[in-house]
Amino acid sequence: MLSRGSIGAIAVMAALLTTVGGAFAFDDAQYPNLKGQWVRARPPAGVTGQGPFDPDKSWGLAQQAPLTPEYQKVFEASLADQAAGGQGGWTGGRCLAIGMPSMMTLFRPMEIIVLPEVTYIRIDHIRDSRRRIFTDGRAWPEDIRPSFDGYSIGHWLDTEHKGRFDTLEVETRSFKGPRPFEPSGMSLHEDNHTVIKERIYLDKSEPDLLHNDMTVIDHALTRPWTVAKKYRREKTEFPIWPEDMCVEGSGLVFIGNDMYFEGADGNLMPARKGQQPPDLRYFKTKK
Amino acid sequence: MFGYRNLMGTTLLTAALVLACAPAQAFDESKYPDLKGQWVRARFPGVVGQPAYDPTRNQGAPQQAPLKPEFQAIWEANVKDQAAGGQGGDPTFNCLSPGMPRVMTPYGEMEIVITPETTHILIEHIHDSRRILTDGRTWPKNKDSIDPSFQGYSIGKWFDTDGDGRYDTLEAETRYFKGPRAFDATGIPLHPDNQSVIKEKIHWDKTKPDELTDEITTIDNALTRPWTVLKKYERRKVAQPDWFEEVCTEDNSHVGIAGEVYYLSADGHLMPAKKDQPPPDLRYFKQK
Repeated sequence: MLSRGSIGAIAVMAALLTTVGGAFAFDDAQYPNLKGQWVRARPPAGVTGQGPFDPDKSWGLAQQAPLTPEYQKVFEASLADQAAGGQGGWTGGRCLAIGMPSMMTLFRPMEIIVLPEVTYIRIDHIRDSRRRIFTDGRAWPEDIRPSFDGYSIGHWLDTEHKGRFDTLEVETRSFKGPRPFEPSGMSLHEDNHTVIKERIYLDKSEPDLLHNDMTVIDHALTRPWTVAKKYRREKTEFPIWPEDMCVEGSGLVFIGNDMYFEGADGNLMPARKGQQPPDLRYFKTKK
Repeated sequence: MFGYRNLMGTTLLTAALVLACAPAQAFDESKYPDLKGQWVRARFPGVVGQPAYDPTRNQGAPQQAPLKPEFQAIWEANVKDQAAGGQGGDPTFNCLSPGMPRVMTPYGEMEIVITPETTHILIEHIHDSRRILTDGRTWPKNKDSIDPSFQGYSIGKWFDTDGDGRYDTLEAETRYFKGPRAFDATGIPLHPDNQSVIKEKIHWDKTKPDELTDEITTIDNALTRPWTVLKKYERRKVAQPDWFEEVCTEDNSHVGIAGEVYYLSADGHLMPAKKDQPPPDLRYFKQK
C-alpha cells in the first residue's frame, strides 16, 4: 500500500506530466525523420535520358508505358515533334506546372515537412510548388478546384507495429492538365480523371533512402501503372535551396501554339527548319 | 523513514518517466505562436487601388518612396510607360517573381509553416514562397556560395518579447538578391546592384490572434534612407482553407520580345500593347 506521501508525490508528478504533455502538442518522434534535402536517387546503370517516369528504365519508348493505342499515338507524335525541334507534350518547356505525377520525379531538390495535419512537399522546379497532403482526417470535399498538383489526402501507418508511423499512404485526385509523365512528352489523359496512389516510406536499412511506390490510374493507360521512385537525402547540415525561375532566360518564346527561340540579341528565331514567322496581322506598321 | 524513502523512490521513478518522454517530444510547437491557417493582406481604411507597398497609403506617388533622384526619374519613366500601355518596371508581366520585399505584400493567400529549423512562408502567387532559416546557421563566409535569388537568403531568430514563455516575434534578415525587383506594380525600383538588405519583425500579438504584422525595413542603394513599412495580415476564419493553385504561365497574355512587351490575342496572334507599336524584328526568318 502506498503511503499518503507517495500518493501526493505521484499526484504532483502526474500533474507535471500532464502539463508537459499538454505543452507538447506535436510529438514528432511519432513520425519518420524526413528532414533535410532529398534528391532523385541515382538510376540503375544503363538508364539514360532526362527524368524518366519509371526510374528503373530509360525515358521514352523504353519506359514501355501501358498506353492505350490512342495515347501511344499521341506519345509518338510528341517524340516526332521533339525530334523536329519542338517540345512535344512536355509542358515544362513552356514553364507550365508539370504537376502530378511527374513532379515527384524530382527535377530539383525536395523538402518534406511533416506536421500532424499536413505533410508539405516543397519542390522548387519551374514554380515554387508545394503539395499539401492532408492528414487531418478530412473526407474528400464535394467541390475541389482542379489543379496541376491535385488534391491529396493521406494517412500515416505504423506497418511494423512499433508505436511509430513509418508509411504515408496518399491518394491524389482532382487534376487539371495538360500533364506529362516525363520530358519525352508522354501524356496523361486530357479528361484529367487521374487517381494517383502513393506509399512513401524510409528504407529499413538506409535512413537516407526514401521510397515512393506510386500507382497511376488514368484513362490514357490500359492498366494502373506502378513505379518505384527513390530519393536520397543529401548529407549536409545546412542545405541550400535553389530558386528555379523557369521563365528567366529560358530562351524560348511561345506565341499561340508555336515555339520560337530567342536570339542572343533578343530577336525571334525559328526553332525548327523552315518555320514561318509569327502572324503580324494586328500590327499597322512594319519594322 | 520508510515512507520518506518510498516517497523519494516514487518521485525519482516519476521524474525518470518525465525525462523518458521528453526526448521523444523534440518539437514543442507550443513554444511558437499559432500561425496556422490562411492569411491575407489586411485592408486599410481609405486606401484604394492595387496593393501598395506601404499599405497605409495608395500606390504610386502617395507612397512617397524615399528614392534617390536617379531612381525617382526611373520610376517616373515607368509610370509614363505604363500609361502608354507598357509594363514599365514591373517584371512580373513575364511571370518573374516579384521577389523581396514585394512578395510580403502579399498578392495571394499566405500560409506560415513553423518548424524549429525553418519558418516557411508559402504564398500562392507567381513564385513567392520563402524559407526563413532558424536553424542557427550564420551568414556564409563566402557569399558566392549562395546563388542570388529573387526571394533572397533569409536567416531568422525567434524572440519571446513579453516573457510569457512563448515566442511571439520572428526577426529576419534577408540578403543575396537578384533582380529586377520593384516595390510595387507601378515599378518603384530597387537598385540593379541587388545589394538590398531587408530586415523584418514578424510579430504576433496573443491578444489579437487573427492579426499578424510584419515591420519591413529595406536598405537599398536606390533609396536615400532605409524605408520602413508596417504590413498587416488577417487570418481567415475557415477550418479547411481552399488553397488556389496559381500558375502564372498558364494564361499569361503578355509576350516579351527584345525588350518590348506585346499582347497575345484570343486567337493566339501577337498584338501591339501600345499605340503604333511596331512589330517585332523578324530578321532571322526566311520570309516568303
